[in-house]
Amino acid sequence: MTVQRQYTLPHCNLVLEGLNADANDPLSPMAVLMNAECHLPGATDATLAGGREFLDSLVTAVSRYGQQLLSGVPYPRATGAAPPLVEIKPGDLPYHHHLIVQQQPLGERVNDVNALPPLDIQLTTVQFYDLMEAVDQLLADSQTLPDMKAQFQAVSRRLVRPTEPIAKRAAAPALGAAALAAAGLALFFVPPPKFEPSRPESEASTPAQTSTPSGEPNTQAAEAAGSEDTGTAGDDPAPAGDNLDRLEGAPAITDAATIALLQSDVTQRLQEAWANAPRPSGDLAYRMAVSENGDILGYRYENDLALEEVDNTPLPELTFVPVAGAEPVQERVAQFIATFTPDGEVVVEPTEAPTEAPTEANAAELPRLEQKVTDGDRIRELNSTLYDSILAELEPLSTSEALRFRVRLTEAGDVVGYEPVNAAAGLLASETPLPGLITAADSTGDQADFQVVFTESGVLEVNPWDGWPQ
Amino acid sequence: MPVDSPPAPQLPMVLDTLTNPGLPSDECPRRARIQLDLLLLAIEALDLGGSEAMLATSRELALEGLVKGRVHLWLLRGTNPMRRYSQRRPLDIEEAKALVIIICALARRLTVLVRQLLVGYQQLADKQLSPEHHFRLADYLSRFRSHFRARMNPHRAGVIAYSTDEKLDELALGLLQELLLCAGVLGPQRLWNSLFDGEVS
Repeated sequence: MTVQRQYTLPHCNLVLEGLNADANDPLSPMAVLMNAECHLPGATDATLAGGREFLDSLVTAVSRYGQQLLSGVPYPRATGAAPPLVEIKPGDLPYHHHLIVQQQPLGERVNDVNALPPLDIQLTTVQFYDLMEAVDQLLADSQTLPDMKAQFQAVSRRLVRPTEPIAKRAAAPALGAAALAAAGLALFFVPPPKFEPSRPESEASTPAQTSTPSGEPNTQAAEAAGSEDTGTAGDDPAPAGDNLDRLEGAPAITDAATIALLQSDVTQRLQEAWANAPRPSGDLAYRMAVSENGDILGYRYENDLALEEVDNTPLPELTFVPVAGAEPVQERVAQFIATFTPDGEVVVEPTEAPTEAPTEANAAELPRLEQKVTDGDRIRELNSTLYDSILAELEPLSTSEALRFRVRLTEAGDVVGYEPVNAAAGLLASETPLPGLITAADSTGDQADFQVVFTESGVLEVNPWDGWPQ
Repeated sequence: MPVDSPPAPQLPMVLDTLTNPGLPSDECPRRARIQLDLLLLAIEALDLGGSEAMLATSRELALEGLVKGRVHLWLLRGTNPMRRYSQRRPLDIEEAKALVIIICALARRLTVLVRQLLVGYQQLADKQLSPEHHFRLADYLSRFRSHFRARMNPHRAGVIAYSTDEKLDELALGLLQELLLCAGVLGPQRLWNSLFDGEVS
C-alpha cells in the first residue's frame, strides 16, 4: 500500500512516497522509499527529487553542514572521491549557504553531450534551518524508514585540517635546527682548550731551599738534610726534613721559663699520643722545632733507628702543617731532642741552653730574687742610701712621663742591676744615673729590690719593691 | 534490609539521548566550555529573564541534581576560561550535557524571536544596511556587548580578539544562528556532537 509522508516547514516541504512494511496494516511504518521530493519555496522554484540515494545524500550533507555551522570546524571531504549527489557549502556572504545538487539522470552514462550543470541553490540561514529541521523530523520519525537513523559523530582530530599551514608550523623547529647547525659550525673553528698540568709550587722551590742552608751556622743539620735528600728521596720523613730546614732561619726562643714550659707540654703530648704504639727496639731520637704556642713545626731523625720507626711515633700526626708550606718560618722556635725509649718513656730535652747572653746584662731582666733581705731596718737604710746616691748624680731628664725601674741592691748597699719597668724607662735608661751606679757583679748573698721612679716633673721616688716593712 | 545511605542518584533520562563522545578524559575541552557559556550569554541577551529561565528549565527537566542552583550555575559557567572570575574546576561531561539540554530547551522557546532577528538581519544585509536599523536586533546586539564586556576578562587573548563592536556583533549573530540550529528536534544531539569536533581521536 502506498503511503505518503510530508514534513512541512515555512521554507521547506519534504514529501516522501513509499510502501508500507505490512500491506494489510495501514499503521505499519514506511519501509521502502519510492520517491522523495523537496520543495524550497522562497529559495527556488525547482523541485529536488530523487530516490533513496538522493535522500541519503541529502541527510548526510545537511547533518554535516549543520554540525559545521555549530562548531566552526569544517568536515573534510575525502580527496579524489566523486562529488556527492548533494553538497552544501558556505556562501560568499555571511549567513548564505549553497545547496549544490548533481542532477545527472539515473541510468545514463555521463558524457560531454548529456552532462547537466549541478543545481546551485542559495539558502539563507533560516531556509537552511527549515531544511535541516525537515530532515531531523524525518530522522526522528519512527514511522518512516525506521532503518534511517541519525548518525552523529564528532569530527576526528586526525581529519581536522590544522588552522596554520604546514610551512608555518614547521618554521619554528626548522629555525631551531638551523641555529644549532650554525652554532656547531661556528664552534668547530674554536680550538679546544689545551690541558697543561700545573706543577706544584713546592716542587720548584725545594731545590732553592736545600741549597741555602750551607751558609747557616748549623752546618751539621744542613749536611744531614743533604744526605737525607740523596738517600731517602721520596720517603716519608723527607717533608719533615724540609720542614726543619725551613725552620733553620727562625729566631730561637731564649727564655728559659718558656722553654721549660714547652718542654713539659710537648713531653706530655708525645707521651699521651705514643702510649699505645709498639715499643721500639732501641732509643729513637728526633730533633724537633716547637713554636711558642706549642706546635711541633718540624722534626728530623737523629739516629737510623729513628728513621725506620718514624711511623710508630706520634710525630707525623702531631706535626703542624702550615698552610703556606714553602715559606720560611719567621716565628720564634725552640729546638728539642725527643727520645722515645724502649721502656715507653718519652724524654724531651732542649738541644742547647739559651746561650745568647744579653748584650747588657745589667739592664736586662733581673733573675728571680732567691734570697731576700728580710731585716726591715736594713731595708729602710738601703732605701735612703739608694735615694741619696741617685739624687747625687741626677741630672734633668728629657722625659714626658715617669720612668719606672726595678733596682737590685746587695745587703751591703752595692747596686747589682736594674730593670726598666715601663717602655720609656727602657729607652731613657742611659740618661739616668743608674748605669753608673752599678758597682757589684751578681752576688749570691741576700739582696733587696727597690722601685725607683723618675717622675716627669723631676721628682725622684725610691721605695722597697715589696712595700715598706712593718 | 536497612540501608545506611540513600540510593545513588539516578542521572536524568533526558541525558541518555546524548552519547559520550569518547574523550581521553572526563572533562570538557576548552572550546566546549567557552561555547556553552557564550550560548547562555546570548540567551540572556535575548531574554531579559534568561537567567531565571535557565534555573526554571533545569527544574522542569529534573536537572537539579546537576545544576543545583544559581551559584552552582554561575560556577559551571565560570569554567569558561575567558571569564573575569574564571573557575579552575573542570566541567564534567554530565554537567555539560545538562547545560546543552537547557540551552536547547530555551532556544526552542525563543525560536520565533530568533527567526525574526535572523530574517531581519538577512534583509538588512541584502540591502547593505547596518543592524541598527532593526530595533529588536540592535537591542539584542547592544545587550550582548554589555554582558560580554561586563563578564569577560579583557586581558585574555581570546577576549582581546573581540575588542571592537563589530567583532562582538559578529560573534552575537553567529551565536544567534547556532541557537536557531539548536532549536530543532535533534538540536541537542547536533549541539552536543559539535562541541567535540576535532577533539575526539
